[in-house]
Amino acid sequence: MTMADDAASSPGATPAPVPAAPRPLLRPIGRTLRVRLLLSLLAVLVIAAAAMGASIYWSVLRQTERLFDYQLRQMALSLRDQGEIAPEDARVIAQDQLDFVVQIWSVDGREVYASRREIEPPNRAVIGYADIAAGGETWRTYGVIARDRVIQVAQPQRIRHTYAAQVALRSVGPLLLMAPLLALVIAWLVSRTLAPLQRLAGEVRARDSHSLQALPGEDLPDEVRPLVQALNALLGRLGEALAAQRHFVSDAAHELRSPLTALKLQVQVLRRAPDEAARDAAAQALTAGVDRATRLVEQLLSLARSDVAAGPEVRTLPLGEIVRQAMADGVALAAARGTTLELDADDDVGVAGDAAGLTALARNLVDNAVRYGASGGRVAVRVTSEGGRALLRVEDDGPGIPAEDRERVFDRFVRRDATGAETGSGLGLAIVRQVASRQQAEVVLDDSPLGGLRVTVTWPAAGTIAPPPAAPAVPAAPGPRP
Amino acid sequence: MRLLLVEDDRMIGESLRAALKLEGHAVDWVTDAPAATATLATERFDLVLLDLGLPRGDGLDVLRAFRARGDATPVIVLTARDALPERVAGLDAGADDYLVKPFELDELLARMRAVQRRHSGRAATVLVHEDLEFDPATHRVTLRGEPVTLSARELAVLEALMQRPGAILSRAQLEDRLYGWGEEVESNAVSVYVHQLRKKLGPELIRTMRGVGYYLGRRGDAAGAGSE
Repeated sequence: MTMADDAASSPGATPAPVPAAPRPLLRPIGRTLRVRLLLSLLAVLVIAAAAMGASIYWSVLRQTERLFDYQLRQMALSLRDQGEIAPEDARVIAQDQLDFVVQIWSVDGREVYASRREIEPPNRAVIGYADIAAGGETWRTYGVIARDRVIQVAQPQRIRHTYAAQVALRSVGPLLLMAPLLALVIAWLVSRTLAPLQRLAGEVRARDSHSLQALPGEDLPDEVRPLVQALNALLGRLGEALAAQRHFVSDAAHELRSPLTALKLQVQVLRRAPDEAARDAAAQALTAGVDRATRLVEQLLSLARSDVAAGPEVRTLPLGEIVRQAMADGVALAAARGTTLELDADDDVGVAGDAAGLTALARNLVDNAVRYGASGGRVAVRVTSEGGRALLRVEDDGPGIPAEDRERVFDRFVRRDATGAETGSGLGLAIVRQVASRQQAEVVLDDSPLGGLRVTVTWPAAGTIAPPPAAPAVPAAPGPRP
Repeated sequence: MRLLLVEDDRMIGESLRAALKLEGHAVDWVTDAPAATATLATERFDLVLLDLGLPRGDGLDVLRAFRARGDATPVIVLTARDALPERVAGLDAGADDYLVKPFELDELLARMRAVQRRHSGRAATVLVHEDLEFDPATHRVTLRGEPVTLSARELAVLEALMQRPGAILSRAQLEDRLYGWGEEVESNAVSVYVHQLRKKLGPELIRTMRGVGYYLGRRGDAAGAGSE
């Protein structure tokens, strides 16, 4: 079965049947909304007309019954009071159009007269009102006794129903005839009501990813305005995010130029090197240039990742362990600069955050301290908790950062003097600030007792880390460790 | 030439200095705006290479102040600012040329030569003095059509003298052309290079005016000819 189907659906050159393309979203909604509204209103109209017809019918029927009953009785009584009546008179009295039938029997039961014999009126007489079945229908009758005869006036019930139905129809009919007109009016009204929505849809359709200005909100129905307001708020947020992104990309592209310029020059110097010693020096410079470009790209990636609003996994992490790992990663640079790394970590301290962000934060702080601290100096790192708050403190004995620059250095691509030997990416503290703000942590720069900069990161609440079964291995690092 | 390089990026600065020295230029290098302003106020250069994004100030302000003092020293702006309004602002601030990073070293050198040519009012790309020709682009020197091999420092001295034939350049001025800051100046270096040049190009080309300096003389014009 399936095989056969497969074979049939893919015969050589004939393309497989493509499932119908999904219809555009706006058209069917507009249409069904209108049609649905129209149909519901028409249904209500028909039901109302039917209810009205039925009600009129029953009320008219009740009235005609009373009326015709009275008429029956009046006719019968007037025939009796006339005494000896000629059959001709009776005919006159019995109104043909209302199908009245007059019957007169003698007291011995012999029928002496019947108007309109052809329609088989009831063949028995009942005194007073009665419903009698005869000739396939029900008759309403009224009989009276007049000396030697019985006079009965009869009328088919059907007449009454027909009459009531006619009256009901006459009142409801115009209403039903109005339905098409009403449908047109409703369609027009619905179109008119939906016109602002259509305009809005047009506005939205005309947008591309660059035109994020607010949608016009005036002359919109109150029911639609909240939607437009919500849309505008979303557009605003999108616009801000896009602008920030564009700003960052343009900054990043600009910042990439410096390492690229350096690389380009280094390659050309290498190519022009007149002797072996110059070639070696140029190759070394080129390697350093590649390292620098690599580091910048890594920092940019790190920043872009920490830009993601919510971390992928937020759980309580061992701050001490993460800082220890970050310091182990910085050992090579520290060794090259002759810097002594010191760590004093309370291993019970945990913070809620994502591991990647926290690692980037710790690594950048340690890296900065080593890079900008004094050559052959000291970097002291402390992980502790104070008053229920987790604390990470990184201190160096470098030149520090003057108070007036301490806010500015958190901006992206801000480098202070290039007089030092190191050229940074200008992103380290920006990454630190971004990760910290995502974890509701606070970053403070001040003077260290060591003589350089002290960076303190404070998390709002310290989690607790269950003590590991064995003491964690301390990574090999040059310099003394606590 | 004696150049001032204003560049805050350590790697770019080092590479540029190395490359320009290979070309025989003397390079002085400062890394921020105040240092650039101070240096330009006190020393004379043949050409300034100016980065715009500098610590503690903007290169454009340095340039404007420099031009406001009436200094016509050629300035080439080297910057990552590549937008049209920025390039226009750079040139309008008084730059002679504007080069966007990253650039090719060859292009920078060519533009430096072009700016020098314009500055000295020459149209020809080759410096000519009688039967001596010097092409700054190729460093090719010919005497009566015959190529002459000169070292980078000899070329620097010859170029300085040929740029304004007849003008007298002091030993200090020539030393400035040969050495950047921090380079050890050998006390008799200029005399040594002049001596070498006389050996290769003939004794009567470079003349000495005792106590003043050196200049290029004309053949048959014997005044002052001779060695030190």
